[in-house]
Amino acid sequence: MNGFVIAAIAMLLGVIPCGIVVCRGTVMEALVAYELISAIVVMVLILLPEGFRRSGEFELPLLLAVLLFGSGLVFVRFLERWL
Amino acid sequence: MTARTVVADILLGLAVALVLGSSVGVLVMRDVYQKIHFVTPAALVAPLAVGLAVLVQSGATIVTAQTWLTLLFVVIAGPVLAHATIRAARIREKGDWRSGRGGASSQPSSRRGGSGASGGSQS
Repeated sequence: MNGFVIAAIAMLLGVIPCGIVVCRGTVMEALVAYELISAIVVMVLILLPEGFRRSGEFELPLLLAVLLFGSGLVFVRFLERWL
Repeated sequence: MTARTVVADILLGLAVALVLGSSVGVLVMRDVYQKIHFVTPAALVAPLAVGLAVLVQSGATIVTAQTWLTLLFVVIAGPVLAHATIRAARIREKGDWRSGRGGASSQPSSRRGGSGASGGSQS
């Protein structure tokens, strides 16, 4: 277990407070927590392949980063007017 | 333990500290206007630290290029989503994001002692 894997595990601990906000906060607060979770998960998915030396798995965070950008904007747009 | 490993570990420690601090900030702040400030360090500075750590550890490889491309999307998405989120919160609260339009007061309800953009009022 090297520093990248340890950092990934430590970053995952940051999802817990965000999960509490998602469960207990208002809908806009949950959206803010969702955006933070997205950034954390993308970084974790970068750190794990680097830590385990699996270069073929770097496509997953790239795809996730693109999709999360689009999905975040769609969430915001719907919450702005219709939900 | 080489110098590269030490530098990479320091950068990773910085990224982890930023992420954990931002998470706690999002948890303890009162409303969406205060919480959104804590997304930026985790979405802007921490990815840069992670990218530098990968660069230091792996050198200029295809893995590093993929990492920086991925983190570029995160770094671009962070401020854009933060702006869009605040705009949406204000529209939900007042009907229009511009000051003085669509509402009786231009002050956010959190500053008036309310619960912020709680999603209750919708135009």
